[in-house]
Amino acid sequence: MKRRITFFQRPEAPFEANQAVLTSKSLAIRGLDAAREDRVTFGLDDLPQELRDVLQQSHELRLRWTTERSYDAVTPLASRVSPGLHVHYTPLAAEQTSEALCSLLRTVFGAGVDCTKPEDTFITPPLLSTRFAASASLQFYAQLPSLQPLVEFIQSSACSQRKVGGAECNKHASSLLTAETVDIDYDSISHALTVSTLWASAPNGGWTEDIQKPASGADQVEFGLLGAEPGIEPQEIKMGGLLAVVGQDKKMKPTMFSFPSRHHPLPNDAGYVVSFSTPTGLHPTMSISITPSGVQRPPAPSDATCALHTYLTLPSAVFGDQYQLGTSDPLFLESHNLAALRAVAGETDLEAPDWAVQRWGSNWLFELTTPSTDSLQSNWTATIPLHLRYLAPSESGYQTADVPWPVVFWACTAEDGTKMGVNPFDRTNLGWDGLFGPRTMFYQLHPKGEHLVESVDVPVLKLTGEGLFKAKNIELGTCIAILLGFLWVLWRLVRVSWSASVSAESRPARSADGHVKKE
Amino acid sequence: MGLFDSASRVFVAATVLRLVLLVYGGWQDANSAVKYTDIDYMVFTDAARYVSTGESPYARDTYRYTPLLAWMLLPTAWEGSAPWATLTFAFGKALFALADVLAGWLVVQLLRQCYSFPTERALRYVAAVWLWNPMVANISTRGSSEGLLGVLVAALLWATLTRKAVLAGVILGLAVHFKIYPFIYGVSILWWWDAQRDGAAPDTKSDLLSRITGFVTASRVKLTLAALVTFVALNLAMYLQYGMPFVHHTFFHHLTRIDHRHNFSPYSTLLYLTSADVVTFHFETVAFLPQLLLAVIALPLVLAKKSLATAMLAQTFAFVTFNKVCTSQYFLWYLILLPFYLPSSSLIRKPALGISAAIFWVLGQALWLSQGYNLEFLGLSSFVPGLFLASVLFFGVNVWILGIIVSDGGESEDVNNPVRIKP
Repeated sequence: MKRRITFFQRPEAPFEANQAVLTSKSLAIRGLDAAREDRVTFGLDDLPQELRDVLQQSHELRLRWTTERSYDAVTPLASRVSPGLHVHYTPLAAEQTSEALCSLLRTVFGAGVDCTKPEDTFITPPLLSTRFAASASLQFYAQLPSLQPLVEFIQSSACSQRKVGGAECNKHASSLLTAETVDIDYDSISHALTVSTLWASAPNGGWTEDIQKPASGADQVEFGLLGAEPGIEPQEIKMGGLLAVVGQDKKMKPTMFSFPSRHHPLPNDAGYVVSFSTPTGLHPTMSISITPSGVQRPPAPSDATCALHTYLTLPSAVFGDQYQLGTSDPLFLESHNLAALRAVAGETDLEAPDWAVQRWGSNWLFELTTPSTDSLQSNWTATIPLHLRYLAPSESGYQTADVPWPVVFWACTAEDGTKMGVNPFDRTNLGWDGLFGPRTMFYQLHPKGEHLVESVDVPVLKLTGEGLFKAKNIELGTCIAILLGFLWVLWRLVRVSWSASVSAESRPARSADGHVKKE
Repeated sequence: MGLFDSASRVFVAATVLRLVLLVYGGWQDANSAVKYTDIDYMVFTDAARYVSTGESPYARDTYRYTPLLAWMLLPTAWEGSAPWATLTFAFGKALFALADVLAGWLVVQLLRQCYSFPTERALRYVAAVWLWNPMVANISTRGSSEGLLGVLVAALLWATLTRKAVLAGVILGLAVHFKIYPFIYGVSILWWWDAQRDGAAPDTKSDLLSRITGFVTASRVKLTLAALVTFVALNLAMYLQYGMPFVHHTFFHHLTRIDHRHNFSPYSTLLYLTSADVVTFHFETVAFLPQLLLAVIALPLVLAKKSLATAMLAQTFAFVTFNKVCTSQYFLWYLILLPFYLPSSSLIRKPALGISAAIFWVLGQALWLSQGYNLEFLGLSSFVPGLFLASVLFFGVNVWILGIIVSDGGESEDVNNPVRIKP
């Protein structure tokens, strides 16, 4: 097991030497004001059996979880995904997916993960992509507001088996509850499971912790205290600070290094707000309102091509019409400030009610237009017309569809030969990054809101157990109405035949021409 | 000089109306983000584009029609520069509009020849109901294919009343291949077409055996065979070309559809409940019984020999009213048959009755539409009781009108029973 603990300090944050003291046995952190990333790497042997079984069937398994709370971006970990749990999965053998993954996800993340079998519930990446696509073969999303189930799983499986340090383990596990993002990565080449957790800000009073030297010689704890500043090249980030391996190094080593980075944050005022204009009806329109500085070209090299994008994660209750949105009609696109639909994946059935849809939903990548003027005074709003599926009847007559805020970013081409992979904090497999070439730089806009999930009221059939319009009465009422209507028409027909047979006796026979002779 | 004296004036006006709408539609499409063109037309033209590149029209989601339609619209897939592309895009709409006018012309001919209408009277009814009806012109110029059904049904009636059995069979087979529901007309036409229609002497023998043998006439056999051969051949050809997706999307879809979005049908609420699995006993599984008993058996048997066109109108009305799904395009199905029925109907003879029927029908629609608006655009939960009661009420109005048509059809024998055209 290998741990890497990195604190990222903003330039203006205070730091004094006694806030991080390294001894031969431990590292003492005191009241440190910084963002923090913990990256723990496990060998397969360190893991519980049920987890190992699933991983050994996987070619690639990547989980990306993000909180619904708003948080500030941390350089160099500026990339974002929509709130919730995103699973990117490639089985070892293409046809060999099983229920084990889903049952594991339910065990680890709770019953809220609505997944039965990957082939039923997962979606396959882009049906329509005009770009180079590199992503896992199967993809899943679940709205997961809290990691409480994961904390309980770790405490009951890993921590309870420990003879020593059980309390420490429990504390570590519950620290996940305050984390902003959790990434879990496994691939069959490294045979290692990496869990990366990000806390974008320090707890009250700053970080205070004693990080012990590992008990086993095979384990390692690395520590870093870094600050970021812009690199010399526009695509680079420069980091400087102190590094140490706890238990090995006598003192912390000063360091300074720079690397090309895939993800860059934009200035804090480059933000966006997501809302649905009311009344939403059955056809809600998502508005993405971007601040003036958010629509300004990012500080990429001047020869780079840049475009503003948004990537939507829509649960199955909400869907887009790929024919409506994929149009090349400039009038439609301009009226919504959209440039084009670049990619769509997942459940795009235009008619099915939600209960007939097995897959979790769909992903949409749009390129947005930007204003032609540089001196924009007000926000720039892109709108995306969407539709609601029928949801199951409820007692109130309404159900809620939760839609996570999309991510909004600039994508710029980088110079040939830029190696993004050398970045020790590189982050990939976010769902949307694979829809661009490997040498693309992303400049992230900041979501400006308290709670990054929008709730849409969906009108459904109001089903009461009591009263005049309970289900049974609707059934009965329909039945009676149809029957009465049927009998009424039948009665009319009977009267017609009866009067015809009466008058037939007193009428002349029909002529050969087939009509009654009129004299 | 009266407005309806000249046939050419009526048809030119109808054509100009459609041309104006076509041009206006092209202008609105080019200048507004809200399109004049119907969303279904985008489905047809997308399918035509697939077909033009050798792919299946069913590669387009929600294409639920015969490949014939996509083939007919092949010119819409022709690429070209701006004015040319606008013209080719409108090809299908122009075709549908032309089909409209042709259907109207056929009805006028039938009224004059087989129902002995003076030209002026025939033109007046057809113009009011069909040719000058803005709804009909609007639907076809927006690109809905329902107008094609109009011309097929008018042609079917024309071939029947002019005693062209094979042609009638071919048209019937084609129409059923196109849209299933015209199969109901097969029953009434067969029942209507007894030996006397072909000039035989009135049957005097009444024992069972001679009745049965007397039923099988050359015309009936020809018509049935022609219809079956056409229907089977078309389906076979389409199946060989496009396989199961063709069968699934054109036919099975209607049996297995799971999208029960709100519509005018009285079954709508029940189907929502059933689909969401909250009902106990499944009445909707026998919904086809009242519908088909009326449209396929009772109405043809009682009415077809009295007045074929009125019988067909009543069948269509019953089929649409008792259907599990009903949208406004279905109303076009019976509109084409109204000019045969209206002139002699009690709705015209007794204006109070006719006006109240129209008012109740429109009110029923308006009530439903207001509830639909509350749901669709305001997001109010108006399924129950709003939409449920509105659809039941609308059903009631339709059943009442159907009753009037049935009574009128029963009395209509000596008024408009078609005269055979002498060669």
